[in-house]
Amino acid sequence: MIKVSNISHFYGSEQVLYDISFEVKDGEFVFLSGDSGSGKSTLLSILSTLLKPSHGELFLDNTPVGQIADIDKFRQNKIGFVFQFHYLINYLSIYENIALAALDDKKQNINALLSDLGILELSARYPNEISGGQRQRVALARALINEPKIIFADEPTGSLDSKNSKIVYELLARALKQGTTVVVASHDLKVQKYATKTVRLIDGKIQ
Amino acid sequence: MISLKALSKNPFKSLLIFSSITIAVMAIFLISSVSAGIIGMYSKMIKTDGDIIITQKGISDTFFSNVDISLLDKVNGIKGVSGSYAMIVGASPIGHIPIAGIYGTTKNHFSHYRLESGEYPKDGEVILGKGLSKHFVTKSINVGSKNFKISGVYNSDIGFEDGGVVMNIEDAGLLFNRSASFILVSVKEPKEIDDLVKSISLLSSDIEAKTTKSFIKEYNQFKIIENSSFVISFLAFSMGLMGIASVMSMIVNSRKEEFGIMRALGKSRFFIIKNLFFETLIMSISAYIFALILSLIILTMLPHIEMLQGYVNGTLSMQTALLVLISTLVMALLGSLIPAWIASKTDPILLINQGCS
Repeated sequence: MIKVSNISHFYGSEQVLYDISFEVKDGEFVFLSGDSGSGKSTLLSILSTLLKPSHGELFLDNTPVGQIADIDKFRQNKIGFVFQFHYLINYLSIYENIALAALDDKKQNINALLSDLGILELSARYPNEISGGQRQRVALARALINEPKIIFADEPTGSLDSKNSKIVYELLARALKQGTTVVVASHDLKVQKYATKTVRLIDGKIQ
Repeated sequence: MISLKALSKNPFKSLLIFSSITIAVMAIFLISSVSAGIIGMYSKMIKTDGDIIITQKGISDTFFSNVDISLLDKVNGIKGVSGSYAMIVGASPIGHIPIAGIYGTTKNHFSHYRLESGEYPKDGEVILGKGLSKHFVTKSINVGSKNFKISGVYNSDIGFEDGGVVMNIEDAGLLFNRSASFILVSVKEPKEIDDLVKSISLLSSDIEAKTTKSFIKEYNQFKIIENSSFVISFLAFSMGLMGIASVMSMIVNSRKEEFGIMRALGKSRFFIIKNLFFETLIMSISAYIFALILSLIILTMLPHIEMLQGYVNGTLSMQTALLVLISTLVMALLGSLIPAWIASKTDPILLINQGCS
């Protein structure tokens, strides 16, 4: 389902990824591990179509990403994101943040999903009115609302305590059980427990 | 909906844009209106009581023109002329007021100045415009080096007259050392005006006769005011508009992270541009309306500010208002949409990272 073929990436003249190739099958939980600066966030950004690689090709659903006619629609339909710093939009309420990402026919599911994640009572509040753990759950709800085929998460528990971290991983594992592919970039080795595949990066190369 | 939310949830940024646009638009309005007002007042003064103006040949400014007053009899003798009067215009310190307009006129023109109190001036007397009279409680004033008795107070809608002094043309002639600045002629039949201009021109080789309409169009002082006001307005306009574009551009650049998040969520470039378009539109139109209202209030107050002696008056034309509205919208939209378009073409993760940095 995800095929990475000889991907390299440069920021200016600095090379951060070196000839990366691997495949991820549907329904896998992939753990991209590595130290800070190893290139895992850059690789995750490329996998999730948020960054074009300098060289090499990425295939999603057997289609080269460059040939996807409407990449915005593709992202909205098939991909969910969870970032380390939640990146909720401050001037929108929790409900509106999720509605912004939701496809029209999925908007009716927002309250049910919020309820499922235990944050329904927060729906009218704004991101700066809730805790860090609650924000990350909202970010997760935003990623799940369209029932994406793949969820990408970059250090999803990086700013959370262990209790909230566990909640986030359990929610990702639950999505996995429902058939969603999950790719998590993290230096937190606890992710290993949930992963079905690990890709370890050292200085931009797969170990 | 999102546009309104973005504006209301970022009150400081919204206020910054709103204030910048308001101040820029007000600067444009006030500068162009005040210069148009000054020209309008002087035009009205000349146009009100005459169809033809006679000035000294080759002298394109009424302040420096010197016409022989004895021409009045010859002009009145021309068939088709219904009346004429001579006038001297000058400026001089009056009492403690550093400068005021002095109008010396023949007696047949006194009725132009509506008396509010007292009587029309005899030799050695003056009447004061109501605006100017508020500065004096004395019964006489010094005009130049001569003392004049105040015989009355008159009313005029024209700021230059309201803040000025009217006296007999003979007294003004002694003050400014001339016979008359110009002669204004009224005609019986407007269709005969061109023939009368020719007839009057033949009376002396030292004079130039024109219709007041064409004189105003060509008047040197107006050209100077118009040109300098055009330069000042253009600079204010450009600076104001550049300011609007810069503020919009800064605001858009500060929202790169938000655009990156939207792109990551699958929102199209069009969605981002569309929302920003409406935000800019709402902001610029409301700031424009606010600036227009404030400018109109200030322009209404200007003639009543005693310190300005009624000399500063503003006229805001529909054409200027429309031009400023269009320019404001264009610059605000360019300032916001160009950086938004560039941002929308950037990889979402780079936008997010740029926003964080």
